Amino acid sequence: MSQSGEKKLPPASVEFGSREWVEEVERFEPGAVARTRAESARRAIEAGRRKLRWQRCDPESDSGAHLPGCRKLYLPLDAEGASAAPYGFVFQLVKTSDNTLIWNFIAFGERHPDNPNTRTVYERAHKRLHGRYP
Amino acid sequence: MATAVKKLDLEVGELVEVGGRRYEVVPSREGGVTLEPPITPVSELYAERGWKPASEEDFERLTADDLPPDGEG
Repeated sequence: MSQSGEKKLPPASVEFGSREWVEEVERFEPGAVARTRAESARRAIEAGRRKLRWQRCDPESDSGAHLPGCRKLYLPLDAEGASAAPYGFVFQLVKTSDNTLIWNFIAFGERHPDNPNTRTVYERAHKRLHGRYP
Repeated sequence: MATAVKKLDLEVGELVEVGGRRYEVVPSREGGVTLEPPITPVSELYAERGWKPASEEDFERLTADDLPPDGEG
């Protein structure tokens, strides 16, 4: 295989597992702003009708979250600038049993919650990856 | 009438069910413990599905065009 052939792989699809979705999104009441934002973003992602602004997660961040192999999207997807997007999705790159690469949804939540007791989306992602909060 | 307090001797990581809903005992930010809806770890989810985290090499190849990390997480 050529060097250029090794550089990139075909895009991987995005998977929203039912258990992850229930735990991350359906913890909010139907009609809640956070849940509505997540549902709307999922519909847009699955329909493939929007160019997505993917961003790598920090392998190590100041918050203590350790998210190797992860990337994120800020919500709403059409927000102008990160400051207008209070929520985030985090996905982990996974190899399935048939060796297909997919982006598995692992966390949803606020990026900078006002309530100090609310976990950030990054803390939630860390907990799902490592079994405990950072 | 005084309300009876039901004391629970719980440790971090344990699951409890209240009113038909499950909660996990987790550390609070104040140094105690609190109850939160559980977050099932990927190790458990992926074991059930036969999945595993991709290699760092695959990750690098698939995120070559991503925006770089912004320092918040």
